Amino acid sequence: MPELFHRKLERSTIGFVLAVIAVASVGGIVEIAPLFTIDETVEEAPDMRLYTPLELAGRNIYIREGCYACHSQMIRTLRDEVERYGPYSLAVESRYDHPMLWGSKRTGPDLARVGDKYSDLWHVSHLTNPRDVVPESNMPAYRWLARNPLQMEDLPLHLAAQRAVGVPYTDDMIENAAKDAYGQATPDSDAASGVAERYGEETQIRAFDGVATRVTEMDALVAYLQILGRMTDAAFEHTAAPQEPPEPVK
Amino acid sequence: MEIDHNALVFFSKSWGLLYLGGFAVCVVVYTFWPSNKKRFVRAKESILDPVDKPWQ
Amino acid sequence: MAGLLCAIVVIHSYYEPEPTPDRLSSYYDPPIKAGIAMSMAWAVFAMFVGVWVALLLAWPELTFDQPWAGFGRLRPVHTTGVIFGFGGNALIATSFHVMQRTSRARMPDQISPWFVLAGYNLFCILSVSGYFIGITQSKEYAEAEWYADIWLVIVWVTYFVLYIRTIARRKEPHIYVANWYFLAFILVVAILHIVNNIAVPVSIGHAKSYTVWAGVQDAMVQWWYGHNAVAFFLTAGFLGMLYYYLPVRAQRPIFSYRLSILSFWGITFFYMWAGSHHLHYTALPHWVQTLGMTFSVMLLVPSWASAGNALLTLNGAWHRVRDDATLRFMMVAAVFYGLSTFEGSFMAIRPVNSLSHYTDWTVGHVHAGALGWVALITFGSFYTLVPSLWKRERMYSAGLVEVHFWLALAGTLVYVFAMWNSGVIQGLMWRTYTKEGTLAYSFLDSLVAMRPYYVARAFGGILFLAGAIVGSYNIWMTVRAVPQAADTGKDAPQPEKVAVAGE
Repeated sequence: MPELFHRKLERSTIGFVLAVIAVASVGGIVEIAPLFTIDETVEEAPDMRLYTPLELAGRNIYIREGCYACHSQMIRTLRDEVERYGPYSLAVESRYDHPMLWGSKRTGPDLARVGDKYSDLWHVSHLTNPRDVVPESNMPAYRWLARNPLQMEDLPLHLAAQRAVGVPYTDDMIENAAKDAYGQATPDSDAASGVAERYGEETQIRAFDGVATRVTEMDALVAYLQILGRMTDAAFEHTAAPQEPPEPVK
Repeated sequence: MEIDHNALVFFSKSWGLLYLGGFAVCVVVYTFWPSNKKRFVRAKESILDPVDKPWQ
Repeated sequence: MAGLLCAIVVIHSYYEPEPTPDRLSSYYDPPIKAGIAMSMAWAVFAMFVGVWVALLLAWPELTFDQPWAGFGRLRPVHTTGVIFGFGGNALIATSFHVMQRTSRARMPDQISPWFVLAGYNLFCILSVSGYFIGITQSKEYAEAEWYADIWLVIVWVTYFVLYIRTIARRKEPHIYVANWYFLAFILVVAILHIVNNIAVPVSIGHAKSYTVWAGVQDAMVQWWYGHNAVAFFLTAGFLGMLYYYLPVRAQRPIFSYRLSILSFWGITFFYMWAGSHHLHYTALPHWVQTLGMTFSVMLLVPSWASAGNALLTLNGAWHRVRDDATLRFMMVAAVFYGLSTFEGSFMAIRPVNSLSHYTDWTVGHVHAGALGWVALITFGSFYTLVPSLWKRERMYSAGLVEVHFWLALAGTLVYVFAMWNSGVIQGLMWRTYTKEGTLAYSFLDSLVAMRPYYVARAFGGILFLAGAIVGSYNIWMTVRAVPQAADTGKDAPQPEKVAVAGE
């Protein structure tokens, strides 16, 4: 009899655990399940390109320095945001972003369409010391980026991992990842020719940090910043008008 | 039957609501089930027991 | 390193004296004591980093040109240190205490609690040390990379099994509601952590990984995680504390036990749907945004039920709240819980969110919850727990508890008001138009307008940090004080009412 009583106790614990799991997870499943088929609702963007190895390396530096903590990459469908930053962001634009970097806070401005907005030189001086170009800025200085050589040997592994999670890199791209990263930042080298061949004629190939002889972390980060919002033209073709912001709550 | 996005959204919206309602009823029934009352009263008094030892 | 640490823990327990039968006549408390110490150490460290990042926004040169001291690297150190270091250790320590007391049973063994505590702190150290050198997933509140994430899963499963085993040994037939909250916290955090962190490492020897989720799906998973981390880490677990330590300290049973059950299931159910309110007006499908908004507003009902339940428990004991700073900590925490859940539901409404999102208002809201609710209920619980655990009559200094209370309250208010102001101003400046129909302010104008508030916010943070240091000192001196002559077995200093135990 005491044995039975004990079993009953344990059974009620397990029942409780199952109830919590059911209650908590069904909400998540119901909400998230439709997102597994969201591909069907994402806009078509046949011109969507992939990050080159150099841009991916730059993106990883963006992640490493935690830039998402102060910069969003998601322009909302509000009129003032569209006028300030450009066409609102579409789902398709971050379709190859593992992880997405939409951000949640704008201590600094949104960067979703910062590509081609400023010159390379501006970015290099700004990253080296933001207050040289924007005296009121409170962004940290990233002086070491131009000093640190970019680590390129492991880029094939990075591309392979990206492919494993669904980004359509080809074998050719993976194999030549390190060479392409070098080539994209050294336009005069032999390695430069293959980059456009593999990633498209639109690919920006130049010495992003102003020094054509070596590839630094600055090259990679600036290459990434200059491609932001330029992966596809879909957002510029989209014609839906942005929403008027509601009346201020105050 | 093919499961497309709209079907999943429909499923979420309809069954989600039903689930919410059914669940709420179950919880309220459990909470106000007369025979549970004694247990609940005991539980809330019991933690104030000053004896800080496990029961044998 | 992980293995070494565990080995030490295991070997240490192996050489402990043979258990005597009478050990079953007492609760196993040493890991709880260690957990409180770790929690306070993390509090002081992470709040110091918090003050530092606050100062960085006003004086950006305070990085001293060090890569590890940039805002983007220190911010996850602060958030992880506070949420997981301070909050997590507090939850583990208090849950060990509550589960034994309310079950009237000793923990089933003496190794797994140490493994959970040491392993959990190892996770915190692994992740925080990674952020300093730039190892991060850039997923908010889940920045730790794959190796630390896997380790946490192992620790967490042990924690869950330990909890269930203790509950299964209980002598009290009913599982007290505080345990429900702790169990929901453990279970749901496990689900969230695993789903959000599924990733493919670059290679087995590489710290870097890529998450399997992409773009809009990643955003939804991330905020489903992010919001429910707030729900089940920073709310459910701490409500567990509230439902145990508040009645014990006040020596009054909870106002309505039934209400606590209803609000438990309400919170468990509603929170799960609310995450998408972080993504209003984005590329997320509209219906998901609406769903998130609706449930966020409905969440107010169970949240206020909990806050009201706590305050009504104190009805009739207000003189005690006036005289006892510890009880006041918990009372003010319940008030802040009510306030910040109201604010949260309000901010989840789309038009409000269009103003508040991306601004300091969000930061203010988070800190109203984190400082006002989470930290205050923790300090209140610790001040209740420390004297009873170490068998002291009372805290070393009641005056210092009072000092801590006022420092913490003043710090929270200064911080929150600074951020409310700056957030609303920022949001309004971004959307203000001139008569000609052009944007009135550049982004830079809004940044310049923030500076005084950033200075004020740092000041509020310093007050709160000072309070935490005073609290640590007070706890330390209490531990060092000469123990009471006789073990009276009191759980609270002034028992007025004695409930007769059954059995």
